[in-house]
Amino acid sequence: MATGRDKHASRSLGSTLHARIKRARVLMVGAGGIGCELLKNLVLTGFGEIHIVDLDTIDLSNLNRQFLFRKEHIKKSKALVAKESAGKFNPNVKIEAYHDNIKDPSFNVAWFSKFDIVFNALDNLEARRHVNKMCLAADVPLIESGTTGFNGQVQVIQKGKTQCYDCTPKDAPKSFPVCTIRSTPSQPIHCIVWAKSYLFTEIFGTSEDDAPELDHSEDSENRKEIENLRNESQALKRIRESMGSEEFPKLVFDKVFKEDIERLRSMEDMWRTRKAPNALHYEDLLKEVTGVEKNIAQKDQAAWTVTENFAVFLHSLRRLSNRMEETKANADTGNSSPILTFDKDDVDTLDFVAASANLRSIIFGIEGRSKFDIKQMAGNIIPAIATTNAMTASICVLQSFKVMRAVMAKDELGAKLKDESSEKSSKAEVKEEQIEAKTDEAFSQKISKAKMVFLAPNGTERRLTTEGLSPPNPCCPVCSVAQSTIVVDANRATLNDLVEDLLRLQLGYGEEFSVNSEAGLLYDPEEDANLNKTFAELGLNNDASITIIDDADEGARVNLVLHISEQHLGTEAKPIDLTQKPEIPLKPKAAPTETNGDSRPIVTNGLTNGVTNGATNGLKRTAKEAGLKDELVRKRGKVVAESDDDDFVIVDDANDGVICIDDD
Amino acid sequence: MADLPPPVQGPTAKEKKYDRQLRLWGATGQIALENSHILLINSGPGVVGLETLKNLVLPGAGNFTIQDSALVDEADLGVNFFLEEEHLGGFRAEHTCNLLKELNPDVQGHFISEPVESWLAQPDALEPYTLIIVTAPIRPGLLTKLAAHADQALVPLFYIHSVGFYSHFSIHLPPAFPIVDTHPSPETTTDLRLLKPWPELLAYAEEKTEGLESMAADDHGHIPYVAILLHYLEVWKKDNNGQVPQNYKDKTAFRDLVKAATRTDTPEGGEENFEEAVSAVLKSLNPPEPSSTVKEIFKSPECVIIRENSPPFWVIAHAIGLFYTKYGVLPVPGAVPDMKARSADYIQLQNVYKSKARKDLAEVLESVRFLERNANLSTHIEEKDVEAFCKNAAHIKLVRGRPFHIVPAEGDLKFGTNAKSLAQKLTFPDALVPIYIAFLAWDKYTATHTLDDLARASKTPGSSDADVDSDTGKVTSIALKLVDSLVKEASYTIDEEEYDTVRAQIAELARELVRAGGGELHNIAALTGGMVSQEVIKVITEQYVPVDNTCVFDGVRSKSSVFKV
Repeated sequence: MATGRDKHASRSLGSTLHARIKRARVLMVGAGGIGCELLKNLVLTGFGEIHIVDLDTIDLSNLNRQFLFRKEHIKKSKALVAKESAGKFNPNVKIEAYHDNIKDPSFNVAWFSKFDIVFNALDNLEARRHVNKMCLAADVPLIESGTTGFNGQVQVIQKGKTQCYDCTPKDAPKSFPVCTIRSTPSQPIHCIVWAKSYLFTEIFGTSEDDAPELDHSEDSENRKEIENLRNESQALKRIRESMGSEEFPKLVFDKVFKEDIERLRSMEDMWRTRKAPNALHYEDLLKEVTGVEKNIAQKDQAAWTVTENFAVFLHSLRRLSNRMEETKANADTGNSSPILTFDKDDVDTLDFVAASANLRSIIFGIEGRSKFDIKQMAGNIIPAIATTNAMTASICVLQSFKVMRAVMAKDELGAKLKDESSEKSSKAEVKEEQIEAKTDEAFSQKISKAKMVFLAPNGTERRLTTEGLSPPNPCCPVCSVAQSTIVVDANRATLNDLVEDLLRLQLGYGEEFSVNSEAGLLYDPEEDANLNKTFAELGLNNDASITIIDDADEGARVNLVLHISEQHLGTEAKPIDLTQKPEIPLKPKAAPTETNGDSRPIVTNGLTNGVTNGATNGLKRTAKEAGLKDELVRKRGKVVAESDDDDFVIVDDANDGVICIDDD
Repeated sequence: MADLPPPVQGPTAKEKKYDRQLRLWGATGQIALENSHILLINSGPGVVGLETLKNLVLPGAGNFTIQDSALVDEADLGVNFFLEEEHLGGFRAEHTCNLLKELNPDVQGHFISEPVESWLAQPDALEPYTLIIVTAPIRPGLLTKLAAHADQALVPLFYIHSVGFYSHFSIHLPPAFPIVDTHPSPETTTDLRLLKPWPELLAYAEEKTEGLESMAADDHGHIPYVAILLHYLEVWKKDNNGQVPQNYKDKTAFRDLVKAATRTDTPEGGEENFEEAVSAVLKSLNPPEPSSTVKEIFKSPECVIIRENSPPFWVIAHAIGLFYTKYGVLPVPGAVPDMKARSADYIQLQNVYKSKARKDLAEVLESVRFLERNANLSTHIEEKDVEAFCKNAAHIKLVRGRPFHIVPAEGDLKFGTNAKSLAQKLTFPDALVPIYIAFLAWDKYTATHTLDDLARASKTPGSSDADVDSDTGKVTSIALKLVDSLVKEASYTIDEEEYDTVRAQIAELARELVRAGGGELHNIAALTGGMVSQEVIKVITEQYVPVDNTCVFDGVRSKSSVFKV
């Protein structure tokens, strides 16, 4: 019986599970709000080895919830400080920290596959998708989580058994038609997007065409206006040349708040039924500006007057231009001019965007917004608090217990069956497959106990709602693919070797397919220019992956993802070879994606605020739960009388007092 | 958006630090949090209490005090992240207090390591605290004393269990706990009054839909949907004896009427504004009748009679009640959702709603001032509070706080007014009432067992390995006795087979609680601490609707349930 430090955990978890947890190696991606809580819970639960990856540094606005950090840690690496702080909670736990981007190639599939479980504690869609993909490739269970304000959710993802992160479509960020932003704004957000994605980027950044908020699609109605707008942008770019000069602020101001407005106003058709905009005049405002308080820009919760906005505009424009000039002066190479990017926490850029947005609002007769509000709207700020993170992170760990049980069941059964088969020592070949099928079944059965959990902050009947895990979406472009690793001698192997020898000869591909790398198309029947290039020449190095898309009319197979393992192979050996022949199932007939049928809004902090709060029903879920069960039953090839999912039996294990909490 | 007064000077480092939470509860909520003084009476492994406090120290609760007479032992290090080896043997209250303070220099922390019995015996011991959190185990006599204080001083009291995979908390709120800022979901807050339009709104609709049939395509495609619906409501009324659509059938017929009026000869083959109108029919064409909970507030005794010491909530509620009696509707909140329209038309529409909201507010304000004078009120009610109330009138909420169950050491527990509903829920698989019963049994055991002859420290079931079996028997029999008495007290008839299942379930839960040996699983404590602190914040800020009044969590199935006891 465990004593001391482990006493409580060992008793509640049972000593077998607890012992396995102490040997577990887990990865936590992200050391922010959820990450801090998660790390504490993992350390105190006794997980043996924890790796943390986070690219971010600590900011003052983190301290209201990220309790592993103090004021003196500001600007330091989240991962390293988190390791430092949490390491003290339990000296028996080994923590590795990486102040690095999880997308760095050194975190490759082989690296991911060293872990028993991966926890996502991220704040953006891109990284979530990446980790999802890596975990699928490495066949490692992933526990995905996210929060917004009082809302949160946790999802367990296991390749081939459950939906992956990309099985349900995620909302794209909202975009606005370019004409609404540039010519006919009617809401504060239109002016804020204009200030941030057009004005700021034209003056200090690269080009407006990069801004995801702007939808540049043309149609017959707006073609002429879009052409005009291009000319406007060009003119603004020319003004950018005079940055640093005395007249620069006036040039910018007159251009965007007077001339462009006057041009718009002259298009009478546009204002026949809309209220026409009224240009602002630099000289008039300049006369009044002396009356503005010095610290007006700090009054971030008041709506500023036109003169106050003007003052903040001038001041922030000057600060930003100075910064550009300084960067230019310090730059080693004179070729590329420096750029600034909008950052909600960079007060100069925020001031500029807030003041410019409000000046434009005044011109169009739209209500102004306070800087505090603009910061949230322009910076996609997601409210975040300690309480929600505490709950969400704990649920992650609860789900991880179920995943660990599945891992254990698989390992135990595997060991047992292997022992048995080695005793008999005959037909070991056949046995191997059977063992795999049986252990996989044991694993499936256990992992189906894991749940998708939602916080229901306003639920009157419950504070958490759960639903069973859904099986993978057969049309998912990410998880419903075949994967394999190829060994490549990059200096000898050519694309032709891949196409002809490996794909056509070994894997039986026909004529119609394409080979794609992350950079784009490498080969298809019309594109054969690369065939004689080697992998090295194509930049396909170790840990890169390529996707084969089968375009055959009949019997097309699902996409095949090949991970490259670079090796020097002897000259007698084939320059390129499969490590294992992959099974590539046929593409399902373009079935209607039922992915969105009842999908609950997913909190992806950083993307959507559209989380509804209603206490959710448990009813709709049963069909899907049943779906997963059916699949399990099918896989076993026999019908097991299963108790209802809601019943559970507490089984007292006579050997060590372990309690297995289970429902079968 | 948070309703924040303009600060005298720039945003301080403090405001920046709290930025992400100010966006949830605003400056008023933050001020309430900073003015609070939270008392934690900690016992057992003490993890859940400290996890709760951690989540309150981080967002900047003004003051906290920990009462805890335990000394730090080895097991504490394993579950309590605040404690390290160097603290072994020291007072847990002192060390946890100091380490909690490190989390946020804005927060003042205090500790009391005197045993709870003697400390509570002092008069006015509880005086400074604005909210009290107690973790099990605690002697029933002390808990009764705290409940009496909560009743008399109107101080919210939280009582928490966290044992193994299970946890529970109950909240004892003051008998009248009103909330104005309930933060309803945005979809439910739009109140356009389409079925009870006022003359200016009708005039607006008429103006915007004049010559509808012969309107140019571009104009037709830009009529705000509010005007479209009002226009066709008039058309509908002409054909239906002056009645607006009454039921679902009417509404779908009305929706078809609007749909049929959409022009399809446009380049897009339809009109966005008409689409908006069609999709708004079912949700917007409801009579603006206040919910029964709001009407109950108008009828409650505190609202009916205003005295000189009536809190502002009741004075404003009374004034709004008068408004409702007079007009049959609540004041117009004034917000207009985004819609396809020309800027000028949209702004004009906003102004129609805003000026009506201002007019309604002025009328309510006048009643408030009249009441103030008439009842000789001691406090002056601020206009902004009346305004906030008018805006939220349809969503105000009154929670009637009440004491939770305290299992007496001697004699039987009376389940009281909610016995019936509790008994009914016994068989609901998702209600988790059996876990609650098991916790009551756990309390009864600790109330009647002590660790040593000095009769000081309570003994939790299963805390010594040797006694696990006998303790399981004891707690199980207490639990089964409790459930029998609940069913009896409620005079509830329950199907015998179902009842056997419930009893078996309770026996299993009792066994599971004993097996944990009074130990906490850090992770469950952290989760429960998250839930409790969230409710504490709601109670302190008087925003959002707190749990009424008991919440149970099942960590085996990741399920929670809220019910009244």
